[in-house]
Amino acid sequence: MRTTLAVRLISLLTIGVLTVVVVGPITWALVTSLKTETNVITFPPTLLPSPATLASYVAVFQQQNFAIELFNSIFYAIGSIGLTLAVSIPAGYAASRLTFSAKRAVMLLILATSMIPGVALLIPTYFVLNALGLLNNPLAIIVLQAARLVPQTVWFMQNFVDAVPIELDEATQVDGATRWQTFTRVILPLIKPGIAAAAVLGVISTWNDYITVAAFAPDIARRTLQVALVNQVFDSIGITWSYVMAFAIISSIPMVALFVLAQQWFIAGLTAGAVKG
Amino acid sequence: MVSSAKSGAAAIGRDWATAIIWFGPALILLLAVTIYPTAMVVWLSLNRTRYYDVIGWAGLSNYASVLTSSSFWDLTFNSLAYMTGSLAIVLPVGLLCAMALQTMKRGASYFRVLLLLPWTLSMAVVGCFWLWLLNPSYGPISYAMKSVGLAPGLMLGDPGIALLLLIVVTAWWSFPYVMVMMSAALQGIPGELYEAIDIDGGGFWSRLRHVVWPHIAATLGSTALTLSIMYLTLVTLILVLTGGGPLGETSTWSFEVFITAFRSVDVSPSAVISIIVLLVNLLLGLVYTRLTGRVSG
Repeated sequence: MRTTLAVRLISLLTIGVLTVVVVGPITWALVTSLKTETNVITFPPTLLPSPATLASYVAVFQQQNFAIELFNSIFYAIGSIGLTLAVSIPAGYAASRLTFSAKRAVMLLILATSMIPGVALLIPTYFVLNALGLLNNPLAIIVLQAARLVPQTVWFMQNFVDAVPIELDEATQVDGATRWQTFTRVILPLIKPGIAAAAVLGVISTWNDYITVAAFAPDIARRTLQVALVNQVFDSIGITWSYVMAFAIISSIPMVALFVLAQQWFIAGLTAGAVKG
Repeated sequence: MVSSAKSGAAAIGRDWATAIIWFGPALILLLAVTIYPTAMVVWLSLNRTRYYDVIGWAGLSNYASVLTSSSFWDLTFNSLAYMTGSLAIVLPVGLLCAMALQTMKRGASYFRVLLLLPWTLSMAVVGCFWLWLLNPSYGPISYAMKSVGLAPGLMLGDPGIALLLLIVVTAWWSFPYVMVMMSAALQGIPGELYEAIDIDGGGFWSRLRHVVWPHIAATLGSTALTLSIMYLTLVTLILVLTGGGPLGETSTWSFEVFITAFRSVDVSPSAVISIIVLLVNLLLGLVYTRLTGRVSG
């Protein structure tokens, strides 16, 4: 593509400005987290922490509930993506490979559920969990979060199975393999990139979720890092900004690391479907 | 993508029992967690409740009282202003960013990852970062305003600008999504098309109009719809930044549902608002389906 000098200059300027806009707030959070409690509230604000200290990070790790909050975040994220994949991969396979009369209805039903926003179901879900005694139940959280991920994951898996030539299935079945053997030996290895993309996207969205856990498992022993973070902001009395920033950064590091390591899968997951193909 | 077009698939399985085994777990999950509560929220909106007990039939009177209350229309105004305001920033910025990255000879992939960072952060984290940046007493933004002679005022506590600031933060968090989507769309444009228009002597603008725009319009539309749905159902960012205040200026439909779901004695009015959110989402979702051709079976 031929580009004129003017276009290239405007492009560089755009990228430059946006980089500052993106990096600025993150840098300010980092700087604040390294300041002392009093250094944070000096006026005018200082650009660099003086003295720089890791005290806030130490305080976060020493906080009484930190370990359980971290455990819950990991447990919910892994549990819900595990359940999501366990039900979505077979459904995605079936959507691609099976034909039966009600298939269109089933697919429309799955599509419709993807359009129902979780926030509209807060009240009835609370009724149900309350009636069943499942409030503050970690498995209920996993099931709820998995159900949010299932529709797009089924559809995603269907696309990946569609990309596997049907002749491969037929060849293995001629050799006497059952449908299940075809699925595990031929299809699954070939759709691994799709599974990885769905997993990365699902883990990040579950880890970052606040609403589900705050609404249905507010118990101290069931909270995640995200819920604990928001609660600190609400306890505005005695709020220490260096501590809040350190907490926010620590709670983000695992997902930022995952994103950087698995960026091509993350991007593949995001863009699948929205670009007309 | 439409699998029924595959004639080979028809030969492999027609069996109902097989279909139930493969689809069953996903369908059971969706029926229990999504479909059943959807039916229930409709039922709740037609009744009166008291502390999570249904105490009597109300018919459409809940709808009548919600739709005639001025607070509902304030929520409606805020929801739509928040959605359109955020879109008005993220769509042009994200598109411009994607186009700028497209012209970079190298380093584009690094910047793409760097600029995507806000989108990987949770709304709770983004809210905390900006709450501190916009702090009227100690924040760098109010300091910068003071040093050029402007009065920063209460920032997020100022009813006049709270919604605007909320939109700015939302845009910071979500423009990278537009960037990724539009980058993917731009990368899908065949290089020969640019060459063809170069030979025809077309300049930058005609290239934009006749080559780029037709290839990205649908993606831009579907991205806008996805984000509209997200903005209309978003709660956490509002909760952290403003708590719906000051004076309800940043309270949206979804935020109201979240707040009242656990604080009201009678949740049926919130069920009505839930249904409005649901219907608007279904509508946007149907348009999205049309636009992306995402129908299967």
